[in-house]
Amino acid sequence: MAKIEPVLYGDRKVYTVSAFNRGVARFLGGLPTVWVEGEIQELRRNAAWANVFLTLKDPKTGATLKVTIARTAYDRLQLGLAEGETVHASGRAELYELKGELGLRALTLERVGVGGHLVALERLKRELAAEGLFALERKRPLPRVPRAVGILTGADAAARGDLVTTMGRRFPATKAVVYETRIQGRGAPEAIVSGLRTLAAHPEVDVVVLTRGGGSFEDLLPFSAELVVRAVAACTVPVVSAVGHEQDSPLCDLAADARAATPTAAAALVVPDEQELRVSLEAGRQRLAVSIRTLLERDRASLERQGERLRAAPRLLFERRRAALDHSGARLQALAPLATLARGYAIVRAGGEAVRTAEAVSSGDRLEIELATGALGARVEEVRS
Amino acid sequence: MNEKRTFEELEKELQDVVQRLERGDVAVDDAIALFRRGEELYRACVERLRAADLRIEELKPPA
Repeated sequence: MAKIEPVLYGDRKVYTVSAFNRGVARFLGGLPTVWVEGEIQELRRNAAWANVFLTLKDPKTGATLKVTIARTAYDRLQLGLAEGETVHASGRAELYELKGELGLRALTLERVGVGGHLVALERLKRELAAEGLFALERKRPLPRVPRAVGILTGADAAARGDLVTTMGRRFPATKAVVYETRIQGRGAPEAIVSGLRTLAAHPEVDVVVLTRGGGSFEDLLPFSAELVVRAVAACTVPVVSAVGHEQDSPLCDLAADARAATPTAAAALVVPDEQELRVSLEAGRQRLAVSIRTLLERDRASLERQGERLRAAPRLLFERRRAALDHSGARLQALAPLATLARGYAIVRAGGEAVRTAEAVSSGDRLEIELATGALGARVEEVRS
Repeated sequence: MNEKRTFEELEKELQDVVQRLERGDVAVDDAIALFRRGEELYRACVERLRAADLRIEELKPPA
């Protein structure tokens, strides 16, 4: 470190301009890091420069302050600042030795004031929309029955509790994989992105719910951060956004595949109702039973018709046989008396009628006597009764 | 049924089986096989629904 030594003119100590500036610069370097609020009056960024130059103005008094920040640090913030916006700059007083100009060497910048944020959000929203990040065609359907639901949340017992309780009530046959992380303040966007990636990489997680309860405008800002919005859009599993209250509309809502007004509503989106599922399954089983019965019934009817024909066949045969038998029987009957005659009996007829009693004839009546072979003509000699 | 498939896949197959049976253009033997498959799928689906409590796994960001 170069020594800051005065030149002596008699008893007068005299410093060179450089030495003076260096001395003051060293003194300023000992001051603590502070936050300074001001309105951006001028903003100059050039990709070829190592630093970004801003002029901040106190809107009340018009006092101004030069601020520099390393371009890499500025770019990493992705603030998309514009002149007229109010920022908080964190850094130390610094003297630009060559010009003796006082300034603030900033390490970080933050946008303040809802108005400025809204303008910036609107701008980011337009940019991302133009890229097609919010397009409806990009939205993926949510799984109806997820193996596991990833839940990204802060140390926010209420949102997590509502989600998990509702999931458990509707559909206990699933799993909640909970990733708790920093979701507001510094580093929150990075933490959210890392959580999303971890959950999406889990082997069972089929859908991720991004949730937090209500909060201040600033608290919800990480959910509108460009890297978070991009991570939601690029997530390998569908994402449901349930951030803040109904009226809050962080940009991650637009990039998500579905949006829920509350954690409870998110639960209803990501898991089915077990009762409904059972009813639908039972209905399927019912239809299964009815259709197989119908099919078998139809088959049985056809079998019965076949059986009918089968049974009808022998009956027909029998009928034919019986007819034949009847015929034979008649003939048999006709032949029967002959057999009797053959045994020595004879049939006596008078006037064509068989004679059964002696009184049926009188002496002198003509009789016809039929024998087994041949017949005799005879006359009654005597009647004995 | 040792099914690695998701509930949705099993449920979809059950629906397909029901529809095929309802169309009725299957031989009796095939119909009975389909019916058995349907019953099997139904039981597998119901089995998936059997759980007393929601399981919870906690993940932490790297320290």
